[in-house]
Amino acid sequence: MSLLKASVLSLSFGGVQAIKDVSFEVSEGEIFSIIGPNGAGKTSIFNVISRFYDLDAGRIEFDGRDITKAKDHKIAALGIARTFQNCELFEHESVLKNLMIASDVHRQSSVLRDMLFLPSVRRQELEARERIEEVIDLLDLQAYRYEAIASLPFGVRKMVEIARGLCLRPNLILLDEPSSGLNPEETEDLVFWIEDINRELGVTVLMVEHDMRLVGEVSHRVMAMNEGEVLTTGSFQEVRSHSTVLEAYLGGGHG
Amino acid sequence: MRFLFRTSHTIDLALFQHSGQVFWYGLLVIALLTAPLVLDPFYLGELAQVFIYAIAGVGLMLLVGYTGMVSLGHAAFLAIGAYAHARFMTWGMPFLPSLLLAALFTGFVSMLVGLPVLRMTGVYLAIATLALAEIVEQVLTHWTSMTGGFRGMRVPDAEMLGVALDAPRPFFYVCFAVLVASVFAALNLLRSPTGRAFVAVRDSETSAVSMGISLVRTKTLAFTLSGMFTGLAGALFAHRIGHLAPDAFTLLTSIQLLLMVVVGGLGSMHGVMFGAIFIGLLPQGIALARDVLPQGVANLPGIEPAVFGAILIAFLILEPDGIYGRWLKIRRYFEEFPLYRKDTFKRQQRFLSTERLR
Amino acid sequence: MDGAQFLQVLIIGLSQGCVYGLIALGFVLIYKATEVVNFAQGDLMMIGMFIAFTFLNVLGMPYWLGLMCTCASMALIGALLERALIRPMIGEPTFAVLMLTVGLGFILRSFAGSVWGADPKSIHNPFSGEVLRLGEVFLGFENIAVMVGTALVCIALGLYFRYARIGVSMQAASQNQLAAVLVGISVNRVTLLAWALSAGIAGFAGVMLAPVSLIDPQVGFIGIKAFAAAIIGGLGSLPGALIAGIAIGVIEQFAQITLPTSLATASPYLVMLIILIVRPGGLFASVQRKRV
Repeated sequence: MSLLKASVLSLSFGGVQAIKDVSFEVSEGEIFSIIGPNGAGKTSIFNVISRFYDLDAGRIEFDGRDITKAKDHKIAALGIARTFQNCELFEHESVLKNLMIASDVHRQSSVLRDMLFLPSVRRQELEARERIEEVIDLLDLQAYRYEAIASLPFGVRKMVEIARGLCLRPNLILLDEPSSGLNPEETEDLVFWIEDINRELGVTVLMVEHDMRLVGEVSHRVMAMNEGEVLTTGSFQEVRSHSTVLEAYLGGGHG
Repeated sequence: MRFLFRTSHTIDLALFQHSGQVFWYGLLVIALLTAPLVLDPFYLGELAQVFIYAIAGVGLMLLVGYTGMVSLGHAAFLAIGAYAHARFMTWGMPFLPSLLLAALFTGFVSMLVGLPVLRMTGVYLAIATLALAEIVEQVLTHWTSMTGGFRGMRVPDAEMLGVALDAPRPFFYVCFAVLVASVFAALNLLRSPTGRAFVAVRDSETSAVSMGISLVRTKTLAFTLSGMFTGLAGALFAHRIGHLAPDAFTLLTSIQLLLMVVVGGLGSMHGVMFGAIFIGLLPQGIALARDVLPQGVANLPGIEPAVFGAILIAFLILEPDGIYGRWLKIRRYFEEFPLYRKDTFKRQQRFLSTERLR
Repeated sequence: MDGAQFLQVLIIGLSQGCVYGLIALGFVLIYKATEVVNFAQGDLMMIGMFIAFTFLNVLGMPYWLGLMCTCASMALIGALLERALIRPMIGEPTFAVLMLTVGLGFILRSFAGSVWGADPKSIHNPFSGEVLRLGEVFLGFENIAVMVGTALVCIALGLYFRYARIGVSMQAASQNQLAAVLVGISVNRVTLLAWALSAGIAGFAGVMLAPVSLIDPQVGFIGIKAFAAAIIGGLGSLPGALIAGIAIGVIEQFAQITLPTSLATASPYLVMLIILIVRPGGLFASVQRKRV
């Protein structure tokens, strides 16, 4: 069954059409990739799902629920996590705290209880910590728990960001160019991490990616876009050999 | 150098990380508790002033240091707390309920003014809070029936369990107790979801939203709590000065408060304490320095603000992490001696790129 | 209020507003070039007034020469401040720089107080005391001079930014420092120039204000109202700042004769708050949501 269903999405910024009549469905348990040249509207789709932008037209359903008009900070609690192209971490805090912030989404906190640090708060802190440790173990981040983000190399930050997404305990994770800024070895590792996340945690993955090897190795289905429109959707092999896709990449005058 | 072996997740939850900290903080508390037995009442008063600054500093630090919002108008909250407390007591309310109610009232007011103002960010927010403070100052000056206008109002004598609290010793203990409670509350907030939401908003609003944090709720909460602590400090400040008048709460006061958290070191409660000691004792320091300096320099009018300004600039250029940051570096130096690298804390310069269109 | 009185108040408001506008221009210039808010802009104007006082009344220079010398020395002071205080802060958070200029304001006020004393001073210009009478309306020449002076400065600035290469560089540097460096613009030079220019304008504003206001170390606090104007204008727009400055001056004058004192004093701030609540980025806002 489909977990995420986008129907005829349209979005424009002051006359520039960023997304034009885009429809797609992501099934539960799938790894779905969106590819396309720069400016094709891939990240805009993410920003629309995250509710950073309001759609001009169209409808997004997640888990059978209409989220087209949901509040931007409610998306995480519904079960959608995301990462960002250039890493948007909480720079001055430790890895642990970054992950804790994510896990707080499922907690009812009250100022008064927090201020007194009642036993219930303490208990919840420890429970959250247990779950975070599972994610840390999964992604091999043990060595970095107490490091401040600002002092970490970029590759590790990318992993921390994925870990932070997982700490939200999502059904769907949106990865925005997970391999950008990584060296070839790190990209190689990424294949395994993404497959682990998908299989072991059962998280559906929606990914925007430029590295075709990565896309080819992990994706169940691929959607190609250009200039805000969907060119084609299908398996990686089908999409790769599709004539309009070749044209968009190899220059039909658009670049 | 001390290595911390973590054997359980509870260690990361504790307020004190190791027994050394418990020892030193315990010693400090004992020293302060016994201070009234040995110190001159004048110095007790000065220390109480430092405590009051520190309480306000806790409030401002939550806002500036942890949520990343700058307020240039916190004198307004100090004033609201002070006037509310004095008003409640004039109406016959006992000291303690009046103190707490004044704090809550200030929190409530800051929430009300916060709601519209918090849509702004950065400089815009700073200047909006400044405008708010100017408006509050006008209200204090002209709402004569409530505030006594220009001539101000007398603060009633405080008494609790038959002890006159305005005497230096009891007042010292009251301020100390309120400070300890405030710091405890703030530290608890910071190690729980509420405080984590604050730092999340400070470091990346975009990311905070996608982690399920409501910007409006978090910012309003930070502003409210900040106002509350500052109002609490204001209520105690009312007793310290004895007579309230609008000119005790000006833009200069706001800036002084901000100076405290910057010079102390943003983003740490230690910073608040260092900053409070600094601005609390600076006037004394300048008075002492006047005796030593040559006549010409010492008698210059208004040298105090200049010294303030110079110290602020010196800190911003030379040590942006504040006194606490400097202390950490010195400690690190001795811990690692002789292996300390000169560039351990070298700052990385960042080029500026904005989201502006024009 | 009859027509003549209305006109009278309007003119005074306009000339007061021009001074706000000039100071606001200084704010915006520095902000545009460096994304830094100079809280000491009003105090720079105050220093400019004292320097003009020294040139005109102490050294007895002729008015026009004194005016030019004041602007030149203020530009020099601005450049020196930039070299000494702002350059070390390149790459630091803007909040830190804001605090630094707050500290600078303290020092400038103390400095002025100790050099020139705390007693208010005044200077005269060739138009002082002369009045233009139009029917029942009396226009002080000083007020007219402020308006004419402001207009001239604005025209000069406009031409400068339109035709000089450095004007374009300034725009580029303000939007992306790194990119500006990469295409060969000297960000340091741009910053230096912005400070010199805005200090020079502050000096000019000081000379304009001096005949209608007393000179004392606290006079720089009107910079806060100018700051309000710059914010209303959206901080990124030079014409916006000027228009908002003039509007604030006019509103303040009318508030003073129609509203109770408390409201009148707070009126510039109230106006600013209302505008910011409706449009959090100012009237001519140019900030968009961060891209991710």
